[in-house]
Amino acid sequence: MVVKKKNIIRKTGFFLLILLIVTFAVFPFLQMLSLSLKYQFDWGNPSLIPKKINLEAYKELLNIGTKLRAVPDSIKRLLENKALTRAQRRSITKKYQETGDVFPFLRYFGNSFFLSFTASFISLIVATLGAYSFSRINYRGRGIIQRGVLFVYMFGGILLLIPLYQVAIKSGLARTGSGSFISLLIIYMVQTLPVSLYMLGNYFRSIPFSIEEAALIDGCTRFEIIYRVIIPLSLPALSTVFIYAFMIAWNEYLFASVFLRSYKNLYTLPIGLKALFVSKNAIWDRIMAASILTATPVVILFMIVQKNLVSGLTSGGVKE
Amino acid sequence: MTVKVPAVRSNRVIVKAHTLRIEEERFGWKLILPSVIIIGSLIIYPIIYNMYLSLFDVKLQGANIYIGLQNYKNVLTDPSFWHAVLTTFIYVIGTTIGTTLIGLGVALVMVKNFPFRSLVRALILLPYIAPVISVVFSWQFFFDPVNGLFMHVTYDMLHLFEKRFSLIGSPQNAVIVAIIFNIWRSFPFSYLMILSRLQSIDNSGYEAAEIDGASSWQKFRYITFPELYFVIGSIVILRVIWNFNKFEDVYLLTDNVKVLSVYTYFKAFTGVMDQGQGAALALIQFLLLIGFILFYVKKVLKW
Repeated sequence: MVVKKKNIIRKTGFFLLILLIVTFAVFPFLQMLSLSLKYQFDWGNPSLIPKKINLEAYKELLNIGTKLRAVPDSIKRLLENKALTRAQRRSITKKYQETGDVFPFLRYFGNSFFLSFTASFISLIVATLGAYSFSRINYRGRGIIQRGVLFVYMFGGILLLIPLYQVAIKSGLARTGSGSFISLLIIYMVQTLPVSLYMLGNYFRSIPFSIEEAALIDGCTRFEIIYRVIIPLSLPALSTVFIYAFMIAWNEYLFASVFLRSYKNLYTLPIGLKALFVSKNAIWDRIMAASILTATPVVILFMIVQKNLVSGLTSGGVKE
Repeated sequence: MTVKVPAVRSNRVIVKAHTLRIEEERFGWKLILPSVIIIGSLIIYPIIYNMYLSLFDVKLQGANIYIGLQNYKNVLTDPSFWHAVLTTFIYVIGTTIGTTLIGLGVALVMVKNFPFRSLVRALILLPYIAPVISVVFSWQFFFDPVNGLFMHVTYDMLHLFEKRFSLIGSPQNAVIVAIIFNIWRSFPFSYLMILSRLQSIDNSGYEAAEIDGASSWQKFRYITFPELYFVIGSIVILRVIWNFNKFEDVYLLTDNVKVLSVYTYFKAFTGVMDQGQGAALALIQFLLLIGFILFYVKKVLKW
């Protein structure tokens, strides 16, 4: 009887502990979601459930049904005038769309996506070749390269930021928006390369060499082996590394804030969000909706590769 | 005659094997070359260039002026620099201990069997994978003086404070919040590392200990902990390296906490943009980290 009672206390304690851990981890996300759906009068209410659902923030960010909202009635009447050509009409409405009042979420999203996708894709190709080389082929200098990749882990972004910025200024790249954008793309590729090399190297080493030997005997060249044998065999690992690199670039703030500072059109999501928060005081619903929308792609990608990513993360630590 | 033929053949085999090896070496270098060029020109070269820049008064327009070690002198005699060093140490020590302990605790819970375990395990990874920028605002709202839950609980319900205030508004309090925020964000990492080690511990040791009547503390102390020693050691060093260089987790949450990265960022990219001094600062930060790692490896890991 006593043992049973003790057991029950233990069990409830254990479940409370799990509840506590989950709450600690998830609460900020729930608060984000709740606040993005609340009206202003509801913000101070500690309950997570909105009294009335407010979808305005999402509509505004995703540009649904807000195209002409900022246009005054007099202008709307002017637009109905049949004498106007289409081009004229478009230029008038355009003026009102870019009043700066609307946060160009979709454009920032696009910029972020383009940068992250391209950078991690190029980095994946370079890293596949490199990782295959130092995990499979014997040559002098291999050890140095392997250790060098690990050593690069120790460099913080700030150590590279000033010299790279100076190079971009002195070479004239930083003078134009496209130059800055390309610099940033290259930087993201470089930043994700060591991680990709490291993770892929670990994975390639786990593929039995006998498979390659069989292909060699069948008359495949080394290069054919890479794309006929190694790449198909490591598709899960490749997609994991790609997504990990994508996440690094998607999250990056430091370099973006310096390189894109004066090119508002090219902002990525992190700097765009920060600028939105600084410029307008306490528009919590929009900020939270933007946060949710920024986190969503990453969380979805993560769920796709969860199993592989988790084992990848634990196989020896990954750079943040 | 009968001996000669195989000798020639084996010679040929050796020559062929030799050229094959050279070919293989060349192939290996060809594949690694792009990575080497990229890392060399965009990571190694900038670091050397950074050392060079730290000796100059760097102008944004026009030529730099050589000033020797003046930047270093300026940095080291500035009390705000030493304050940043202190803040960094507090931040690194607080976050490293916090993440490791909480990660250990959570791993010890998650290794047990309970309903919905895989769902729970996935949920607690969220803080680690969500972009920093998407979670900082929720944390700021939590401490918001007007609407935030923290003030609601401590002021309205518990009456702990005399008036509403922002906990991240002052540097002293903000560093605590920054530490908690970092622990929240990175405990899943140490939890995952410890969990995977825990799962590979052989059960027979525990069974034997049970027969001998060991308490759960003794089991943890004499079986679990020695197995975890190495993984905890590596978590600590990784966290120290990363948190020492942390920028986003601190700066985006609050600009009140001037750890070295944030301090350097402000020096080099705001106001007069003194990039020469910024370069010196970045290098000093790097040397401090290397010094710490050498100390740690020698004294704590005893390699």
